[in-house]
Amino acid sequence: MLGHRHSSLWHMILAPTVWAVHFCVVYGWTAVQCARAGGPDAARTGVLIATAVALMAIVVLGWKAWRQWDYLDDFDYVHDQPTTEHRREFLGHAGWLLAIVSAIGVGFNALPAVFIRSCL
Amino acid sequence: MTDFADTFPPRGTRSNAEPADPQPQGIYPPTEEMLNEPVDPAIARAQENRLRAVWQQPQGWRYWSAVNNSEVGAWYSLTAFAFMLAAGVLALLMRVQLAVPDNDFISADRFNQFFTMHGSAMMFLFAVPMFEAISILLLPAFLGARDMPFPRLSAYGYWSFLIGGIFVLGSVLFDVAPNSGWFMYPPLATEAEGPGSDIWLLGLSFIEVASIAAAVELIVGVIKCRPPGMRINLMPLYAWYVLVVGGMILFAFPPLIAGDFLFEMQRSFDWPFFDPERGGDPMLWQHLFWIFGHPEVYIIFLPSIAIAAMVVPTAARRPITGYSWIVLSAVGTGFLSFGLWVHHMFTTGLPSLSLGFFSAASEAVVIPTGVQLFAFVATLMVGRVKMILPMLWIAGALAIFTAGGLTGIMVAVAPFDWQVHDTYFIVAHLHYTLFGGMIFPIIGGVYYFYPFITKKKMSDRLGRWAFWLMFTGFNLCFLPMHVTGLQGMPRRVFTYPEELGWNALNMVSTIGAFVTAAGVLVFAWDLLRPKSRQPLTERNPWGGGTLEWAHDVPDPGWGARSVPYITSRYPLWDEPELVGRMDAGRFYIPDAPEGKRETIVTSAVDAVPQHVARVTGPAWCTIVAAVFTGGAFIFPTFHWYPPAIVCGVLAIATVLYWLWTSTAQIPEAPMKDAGLGLRLPTYVSGAKAPGWWAVFITMLGDSTAFASLVFGVFFYWTARPDFPPEGADHANLALAALAAALIAASWGATRIARSQNRRGNVARTRILLAAAPVLALASATSLVGAVWLPDMDPVSHVYPAMMWALVVWFCAHTLLGVIMQGYCLAGSVFGKLTPRYDADLWNTALFWHFKLVMGLVGIAVIALLPRML
Repeated sequence: MLGHRHSSLWHMILAPTVWAVHFCVVYGWTAVQCARAGGPDAARTGVLIATAVALMAIVVLGWKAWRQWDYLDDFDYVHDQPTTEHRREFLGHAGWLLAIVSAIGVGFNALPAVFIRSCL
Repeated sequence: MTDFADTFPPRGTRSNAEPADPQPQGIYPPTEEMLNEPVDPAIARAQENRLRAVWQQPQGWRYWSAVNNSEVGAWYSLTAFAFMLAAGVLALLMRVQLAVPDNDFISADRFNQFFTMHGSAMMFLFAVPMFEAISILLLPAFLGARDMPFPRLSAYGYWSFLIGGIFVLGSVLFDVAPNSGWFMYPPLATEAEGPGSDIWLLGLSFIEVASIAAAVELIVGVIKCRPPGMRINLMPLYAWYVLVVGGMILFAFPPLIAGDFLFEMQRSFDWPFFDPERGGDPMLWQHLFWIFGHPEVYIIFLPSIAIAAMVVPTAARRPITGYSWIVLSAVGTGFLSFGLWVHHMFTTGLPSLSLGFFSAASEAVVIPTGVQLFAFVATLMVGRVKMILPMLWIAGALAIFTAGGLTGIMVAVAPFDWQVHDTYFIVAHLHYTLFGGMIFPIIGGVYYFYPFITKKKMSDRLGRWAFWLMFTGFNLCFLPMHVTGLQGMPRRVFTYPEELGWNALNMVSTIGAFVTAAGVLVFAWDLLRPKSRQPLTERNPWGGGTLEWAHDVPDPGWGARSVPYITSRYPLWDEPELVGRMDAGRFYIPDAPEGKRETIVTSAVDAVPQHVARVTGPAWCTIVAAVFTGGAFIFPTFHWYPPAIVCGVLAIATVLYWLWTSTAQIPEAPMKDAGLGLRLPTYVSGAKAPGWWAVFITMLGDSTAFASLVFGVFFYWTARPDFPPEGADHANLALAALAAALIAASWGATRIARSQNRRGNVARTRILLAAAPVLALASATSLVGAVWLPDMDPVSHVYPAMMWALVVWFCAHTLLGVIMQGYCLAGSVFGKLTPRYDADLWNTALFWHFKLVMGLVGIAVIALLPRML
């Protein structure tokens, strides 16, 4: 369904998709814990677990994208040639950059659970 | 969005047993010798004449039946511009009212109508449609395509927009305009008297549907209509932004449509979705509105900055620096912008932990947003900049947008926002982002692309006048508002007492508003002044490197004389022979021997040619369909339901006529010569066909709307202690299970019909296609029974109302699915759909995949979930 990662836009956006899923889980989990059960401690613990899982997933995706970008082989970062290699490297490069932004986003979103100890 | 051309063998799939579509044959990619071979001038002239005849615009009064992207795009942008001027007049009238304290120039109620219409019109009638208009106008040119993949859909979207826009904006002349603010918070908006709120809800829903149609078309255009060879890493940045923004529209607009649906159910039938006395919650509207509303800001901003991404390389006279970074920026912003919506709701008393998430995401989105601005600056630094007029506007845009972005970071911090929420500080912030992120880049883009659009030039001198008037006027108007807001002036007040000390600041703002308006008028005059005596422009006046500047002057209507083979990001800079070859008809589909409008469809990632698609020509049915669709939305505003239903039925009939007579037509031959030794299929079905992609993308958006309703159920459960109420009746389990089984059976029949048809078992196909609608209708009846029998009264409480809303959703989709099944059955009987030519059946089966998932999830939420909560 997703195709091979060398020629797939879906793979390129997997890391931000992890960010999106993490965001929804964190928001939904906190809403449920604060409104219906658990309270702030359960909410915060859940957020931190979800964050650890999301970060691990993003690291794996980022590593794969880095390998696909293959920067250290020719130090190419422009990817403007009409070749299969440049298309592969471009998708890897963009996927790697997106993984970095996604990791920052996930990290940012976990910070409130570090600092805020109440549901109020 | 993947393809396996030239590197991977085709995948073996289950459907191997079914006869496959014909594959492209011949040589690809073309060799240099083939491209160098001259075209016989006599043949080229004959081809040119045939193409010209096929793409000729209708003359006289028939002009309005045109569907070509250059016509529809121009009407679309001029209409959006006219609505913008109207909304701007409302702003000026408000500024006159606020110029001095205790003013009575306009009444409080009229002021409320004005600020509501100003915001609504600027957002829904100008900013988003303008993106669609400009993209329809320009995208095919960036991609060297003949036209958009579905020209009649663009035209339908335009006429819907025109009707809806006039209806909504016209209400202000009759003193019945909506007056609850552009985000229509309940209970103010649900309880508002008069038809104002209904006009807003129904009129704008109508336009939102048109927006989604345009988004679908633009996404398919980017993915499937690139020229051969334009791999994903060579695509113009504008196309990247269009792809991202189209995707955002699919996920942002449906929640608002779902919200509108709930809202209108409350207004018309008193279902208490937002009424706390019967278990409802006004906060659900705020969530649904802002899940739309915040991404919408980026939906407006990204396409405008995309124009900057086209202008900057031309001004710097070098390729963009950091192409991958800009793609990161567009895609990253597209994602992160969905995590911001609650920052409009910081003062609603949500847990501070939740506020923190949205505050953090609001800060994080700055990173991808900023990256693209740095990439532009870097391009300018390493290039040899020629300060062309469009670049002046882009520079002004960057300055203003950065200022707006900085205040954005301030208000993203919740405690600061508590101080300035609903004050003029916010007004200043949002106008800085929108002027810098939208108005200035768009005007820069108009100056830049005007020679392409009209083949004439605008005035450099007037352009500079307009710029400096608008730039100073804008800052004069909105910079003081930061202070006015910090001094405590709330937004949306119609007047203020003298002793509060806001007098001078407001007077300065009013003067600034009129200076800005003067700039807009200069621009409007330059845009519209007659230019018939002016000479035609040269072909590439700015020296740009992208394909749109290979256009023909004057415009022959065909988009591209021949569709080029592309090997570079800036083909006009890198391949000096390219334009000559395009003109000579050396490239693909240089001819129209069958007298049909055609464009080339390529694979999604590597742009390998797959198909020559027939695109539709001039038609009146799009206007008729838009008028009836308008009736179906407008009559309910006044609670005139019978004419609305008649209009709805006629709209469906017109659309069916349109589809039957012009889409998925059986071609005269299965393959055709596309030029350069390549033979391509003239008919494809499934994932290679643009129509299949359109269904797929539409259904993604539709699923988002459905997910918003399910979100509503969970929202009530977390937000309200009485959802579902103690001892409430639940839906009948047996009938719901029956509905699930029947809908699965209907889906199965449709899916099997597709394979049976492919295998040539026409009789079995027809039996299955005849049974499927019966099963589907039985399923819908059964589900209605499941909530009818236990006497779940939707007026009594939000729980039964929400369940009924899901049932209504289910039934509406079932009806649509039934119509599609019937359409395929009729196609099979009357020879429009054969074992070989079966695109309609593929699309119907695809719809039913989505329908099945939504149906089963819906039934589970109706019948199972409440028993577990």
